[in-house]
Amino acid sequence: MNMRQHYPIRSLIVVACFVLVGLGVIVQMIRIQNSEQAMIFLSQGDRYAGEFQMFYPERGEIYDRNGHLLAGNRTVYEVGVSLSEMENPDSLAYILGSYLGLTYEEVYKKLTESPESWEYIVIQDYVGVETVESLRQLVQQLNDADDPRLNGLAFKPHLQRSYPEKDLASNVLGFVTRDGRGYFGIEEKYNDLLAGNPVQIWVPRDPNKASDIPRVPNGTTLVLTLNRDLQAKVESILEQALFEYGAQNGTILVMDPRNGEILAMAATPRMDLNNYGNYFSLYDNGSQYNRAIGMAYEPGSVLKVLTMAGALDAGTVRPETTFIDTGSIVVGGITIQNWNRDSWGQQNMIGCLQHSLNVCLAWISSEMGVQSFYSYMERFGLGHATGIDLSGEAIGRLKVPGDGDWYPVDLGTNAFGQGVSVTPLQMLMAVSAIANDGKMVTPHVLYSMLRDGHQYNVPSQHAGSPISAETARTLNEMLAISLEQESSMALLPGYRLAGKTGTAQIPTDYGYDASHTNVSFVGWGPVDDPQFMVYIWLQTPTTSIWSSETAAPVFSQVAEQTVILLNIPPDVVRGQLTPK
Amino acid sequence: MGGETPPLHDPRPNKKVVMQGQATQIIHAYKQAPWRVQRQWIGAFLLVVIGAAMIAALYLDVTARAAVAGRQIQELRLEITAIQRENADLETQLADLTSTAVMQQRAIALGYRPVQPGELDYVAVPGFAKPEPEILLAAEDATPHVERQPAEYTQSLLEWFDERIKLEVPR
Repeated sequence: MNMRQHYPIRSLIVVACFVLVGLGVIVQMIRIQNSEQAMIFLSQGDRYAGEFQMFYPERGEIYDRNGHLLAGNRTVYEVGVSLSEMENPDSLAYILGSYLGLTYEEVYKKLTESPESWEYIVIQDYVGVETVESLRQLVQQLNDADDPRLNGLAFKPHLQRSYPEKDLASNVLGFVTRDGRGYFGIEEKYNDLLAGNPVQIWVPRDPNKASDIPRVPNGTTLVLTLNRDLQAKVESILEQALFEYGAQNGTILVMDPRNGEILAMAATPRMDLNNYGNYFSLYDNGSQYNRAIGMAYEPGSVLKVLTMAGALDAGTVRPETTFIDTGSIVVGGITIQNWNRDSWGQQNMIGCLQHSLNVCLAWISSEMGVQSFYSYMERFGLGHATGIDLSGEAIGRLKVPGDGDWYPVDLGTNAFGQGVSVTPLQMLMAVSAIANDGKMVTPHVLYSMLRDGHQYNVPSQHAGSPISAETARTLNEMLAISLEQESSMALLPGYRLAGKTGTAQIPTDYGYDASHTNVSFVGWGPVDDPQFMVYIWLQTPTTSIWSSETAAPVFSQVAEQTVILLNIPPDVVRGQLTPK
Repeated sequence: MGGETPPLHDPRPNKKVVMQGQATQIIHAYKQAPWRVQRQWIGAFLLVVIGAAMIAALYLDVTARAAVAGRQIQELRLEITAIQRENADLETQLADLTSTAVMQQRAIALGYRPVQPGELDYVAVPGFAKPEPEILLAAEDATPHVERQPAEYTQSLLEWFDERIKLEVPR
């Protein structure tokens, strides 16, 4: 057999070998792929093929009406360790413990005692940029020196709510906790709008399968009616007033009576919203967070404005109606006296308001009758929520005939603000009818919403017309005259203002506390074209128990800052500037 | 001497035909040569191999490009997220620097003091309207403008009577 005859046989043997090896490989592949372990390997493979990631939209920002940022977002980091890459838990525990303010043992335990299946462990979240930058520099230095001691250390950035103005308007804004939920104020009321809609997406690790993720729109940006500069001034005045008059707490509200826009809403105590952990040390319960809307109290004589409005509107009295004040009146079998227990003789209705005569107002409500009086109080919204777009509003209490705890004397006492509880905002809303030609406005804090480049303005809403425009103008004038005749400390030179003081004893379980009062003031201006309304409530002032000596001068200070910041010229100048 | 007369039919093979036959045989033999068949097989095999290689190369090229594009998408996504975060950070930092407390401190340090009511001068500028803040200027107004409700929906019965009476008076 020569070489030519051997060649085909050898070739066939070689081919057969290759075929056999190939078949063997294929058989083995099929066997492995269908083995019991295959499913385990496949599931392990799937585990690393990608992951479901939740894409949280950036929480919407909050601005004041002039575009100043009140609530934004800043980058913070989650500091963690990739356990598979970790080489030296000792060094990691030491470094992370010292940089993050944790103990060595705490970190070391986390690193070494985590379940075997864990790939990654979080050491601390919400770490600031400065700390992370320092850690990064350290890691870089060690990497440059081929030192693996900090291998595995990872930093994952994400956003956290931030309040650049710290405690400014904290009672209005509310705060967001680390779980992304808003509490109190705007943050709670508009939480769904601000937070946006998170989207969960499967993100493959295989770049062949990578695709663009659907756009996750940011949360809605809100523009508030608040004026940041006025808010800051009002808060400053409130702080000063608490200090000067030794008051426990206080509230000041500034509203535009024409449309219900809240321009400033200050309440104490305030809290740096970036450290919301202080909440529990500052507040005993949620109603204290924003006393302007969350705490109802007996307002005292400021409520006489509503009684007089109802009586004028019902035709029970006119400004010139006279009343002989004998110092006391009996209503429902109970004797009611004036604040100083004196008799004030003959008074017209302006005098009754000017001297804040309880007896006169109790007489007026008695003349009006139960049905008429309470009908007006209902129409002014007492006992009902104002509907302000803030979370945590209280509704107060207006006892009406038929209620188990209503007594005939309540008709007399309610007329001067005793036995009825309201929030400062409810009073402001009710009195807005007098400053706004009989139309009551619904107070609101949201000015506009911005979403996907579109702006949605919030229209102002009227909450009814409890009195006629004529009655409103008459009472407006009466209250301006009473302030002027009283030479009140509430007056502001150059501007004609209207307003009313209120000093109320504080009810306790054992009757009224004679030594402590709540002092209030409601006022607005300029009288011929009201552009701002102010409500003040100071709790238990100690230097004086009277509103005329505490809340009234505070009103004057607030009015002064308001006319400056809102560019409202003095009456004389305004008359010259107004186009004829 | 008389010449021979050629036969009518020459028994010798025609030379031309013979040569043609030989050529045909050679061609046939060439075509059937074993080495040529082998080369044909090898050629066909190589063709298949080259085709497959080309397809594989094309596939590899396309998948490589797709992988690179996919990676770029992932990186761009991360970049977008990082830029958005940076943007939010910068906005907040700017707000920190221009916050009320900081601005007040800076103003006082520069020698300014709060204005008093008597120090203000007011000037009427016909047609002047306070500009909207920048945040609102950037957005398109999409507020649904609800038509004003007829008075019948808002006025009370007394107001309606009042309006009727006033309308009747001129007559």
